[in-house]
Amino acid sequence: MPEGKPSDIFQKRLKTAREELRKWSQGELGAKAGLPPTSIAHFEAGARKPSFDTLRKLANALDVTTDYLLGRSHDPGLAEAGDPLYRDVGKLTGNDRELARDFLEMLAKRSEEKQKK
Amino acid sequence: MKTPNLAYRLKMARQSAEAYLRDNGHTTLPIDPFAIAAKHEIEVKAKPDTAGGVSGMLLRHGNNFGILYATHTGSEGFERFSVGHELGHYFLEGHVDHILPQNGIHTSHGGFVSADPYELEADHFSAGLLMPSGPFKELLRRRKPGLDTVSFMAERCKTSMTATAIRCGELSSDAVAIIVSTGDVIDYCILSEAMKSLPELTWLRKGSPLPRNTETARINADPANVLRGERASSEIDVLDWLGGKRSAIVTEDVLGLGHYGKTLTVLSSESIGQEDDDGEAEKDTFDRWDAPRFKR
Repeated sequence: MPEGKPSDIFQKRLKTAREELRKWSQGELGAKAGLPPTSIAHFEAGARKPSFDTLRKLANALDVTTDYLLGRSHDPGLAEAGDPLYRDVGKLTGNDRELARDFLEMLAKRSEEKQKK
Repeated sequence: MKTPNLAYRLKMARQSAEAYLRDNGHTTLPIDPFAIAAKHEIEVKAKPDTAGGVSGMLLRHGNNFGILYATHTGSEGFERFSVGHELGHYFLEGHVDHILPQNGIHTSHGGFVSADPYELEADHFSAGLLMPSGPFKELLRRRKPGLDTVSFMAERCKTSMTATAIRCGELSSDAVAIIVSTGDVIDYCILSEAMKSLPELTWLRKGSPLPRNTETARINADPANVLRGERASSEIDVLDWLGGKRSAIVTEDVLGLGHYGKTLTVLSSESIGQEDDDGEAEKDTFDRWDAPRFKR
């Protein structure tokens, strides 16, 4: 996996996906993602960090996974195992881990169902 | 790049939630965080009411997101706030780096839990989302300050008494102090701008002793009072609570918060701070008063 913070990797992956995979301008990507072109420029320059909401909009517009944009997968179409986005893991009880795992399985099924459509 | 101070970050988090509401046409209370999650195709699921553990969790698989939230407290306000908090992690910029586990392993930025600025930002996003300043102030200004108003606002916003009281302290144009205490110790204190107009107040910081001869001290003297949610009201000189140099009578409303084990005190006055401005209001509440936890 690439080194660096997820947002540092995102900055590079966003540009690669836009220019090399889709061959779109920043304006074209902005229009498809519902974001101003200046936002795309700021994300690619690293001047702004994305929210998960923005990350998801961009991934959907580019037809890649958030895993790819975050550097968690080299394959633009591949989703990895998923993450409970909880920082303080020391506080996660066994019960919470189990609930998170079951919930992630449900989200994975949703991903599969969407891909079949 | 210079890191903005915490007070500024928390203000921006609240305003970010309020901007979301404006942009999406949410103008009336209560705000429904479950509907907002549904609109963004975020699956929301309650943890079993027997499960303790974390109050909420944001999860991601591919491009799908979900929120798990705790129900063991039995408090609708707490549940809605927890969902709002997770929406904060979802909508706030910069949270990707701080809550995404590294290389499949969850990271803990150890030793920085209760004062974690990202968790505080998510709390303040939730407060701004569920208690947006515009409609909140509009309702607040028509009412006499005090615990009854906090209770009324909590009902309208479907938020917990404590979270609502903190918001009342921030947004009230009347002189209001919101104090949360445990036993004979202060947990935190929020003063409205009008209350801060009193000269040379003593800062009730976290860990300060609870002033004696107050209604709150009487209630807290017996934990059973707190547990059964006892409520009391009396009048007291603001000097007895907040020190300073100007004597003024305020109403002291007190409520035991049950199993939470804490006590909520609301000091209020409709006259303090309504005179001509003869002093500079303190700025930057959170630099000087311990940042409140909205959670309960």
